[in-house]
Amino acid sequence: MARVITITSGKGGVGKTTTTANLGTALAMRGARVAVMDADIGLRNLDVVMGLENRIVYDLVDVVEGRARLRQALIKDKRLPELCLLPAAQTRDKDAVSPDQMVYLTNQLRTEFDFVLIDSPAGIEGGFRNAIVGADEVIIVTTPEVSAVRDADRIVGLVEAAEKGTPSLIVNRIKPRLVNRGEMLSVEDVIELLAINLLGIVPDDEAIVTSTNRGEAAVYDQHSLAGRAFLNIARRLNGEEVPFLPLQDQPGVLERFFGIFGRRRT
Amino acid sequence: MGFLGNLFGGGRRDRSASVAKQRLMMVLVDDRYKLTPDMLEQMKIEMAEVLSRYLPHVDSDQIEVTLLRGEANDHLKAEIPLKRGRDE
Repeated sequence: MARVITITSGKGGVGKTTTTANLGTALAMRGARVAVMDADIGLRNLDVVMGLENRIVYDLVDVVEGRARLRQALIKDKRLPELCLLPAAQTRDKDAVSPDQMVYLTNQLRTEFDFVLIDSPAGIEGGFRNAIVGADEVIIVTTPEVSAVRDADRIVGLVEAAEKGTPSLIVNRIKPRLVNRGEMLSVEDVIELLAINLLGIVPDDEAIVTSTNRGEAAVYDQHSLAGRAFLNIARRLNGEEVPFLPLQDQPGVLERFFGIFGRRRT
Repeated sequence: MGFLGNLFGGGRRDRSASVAKQRLMMVLVDDRYKLTPDMLEQMKIEMAEVLSRYLPHVDSDQIEVTLLRGEANDHLKAEIPLKRGRDE
């Protein structure tokens, strides 16, 4: 039976889709059977980020409305046969799917995969609620900015109210130099403000732009720091204890974050 | 920090990251508990009134209220400096 994990954020543009694509790819690289679902109906994007946009025949709404079977709508990844994408509909809106239908859909996926990752739309409305309703766990992606952290806090409350447990946190686009100069919130600041478990730290990395341009996951790029961070997050999702990557110019940061992670995980 | 902080330009108090953190702390209290900065001030004044009935005069300006986040619960922490009584 699969673990169903929703990746959400509140604020748009913080890296949910990139995170979903990279974690899905990384988990599949490690041998898991993975389905990634784009729950952002009307604003489909996971397909282009993964480079699968030309292969779409049916989408999530086609499955829900009975025009296609789930297997027909699932698109196999170009490189990894154990990785599949269930694309969102582009010409419909979030009301095209009900929460019950989302639960039914995720339960269907559960039987065939080890991990089901759901890419949530931004916001706190129907689309977000649909994205978490079938989830076992929720990951919040945020960046070290006031608007993103504020929205993330709101999402923590909504996820807890929906009885999905306390979400875990990925802090994306950290710029160690700015943090060192005291001009960017540190990972520790963000954790202190949100008071949730840290799952990963992803440094700001230009390689993400390149890999997204090409429709290839950054985890394939050995030289990409962000790619390595996503690989580590995938290993943590598999239950491994993996130390946090040392951020450039920040000696000691590794030990401190590992301390937090280790303590809260047990 | 201390010495090194002073050496490199007077500490982090004015750095934008700590400004961001302070602002976020206030905003999150407001978001979560609908407690605005004005209401927080009023709360301090009323706390000072009540406390002054039992203790030497407490000045509301001296009360420092902070919200601490915990994993299960948040805590409201109030620091209230007391003037030393003369007849101990």
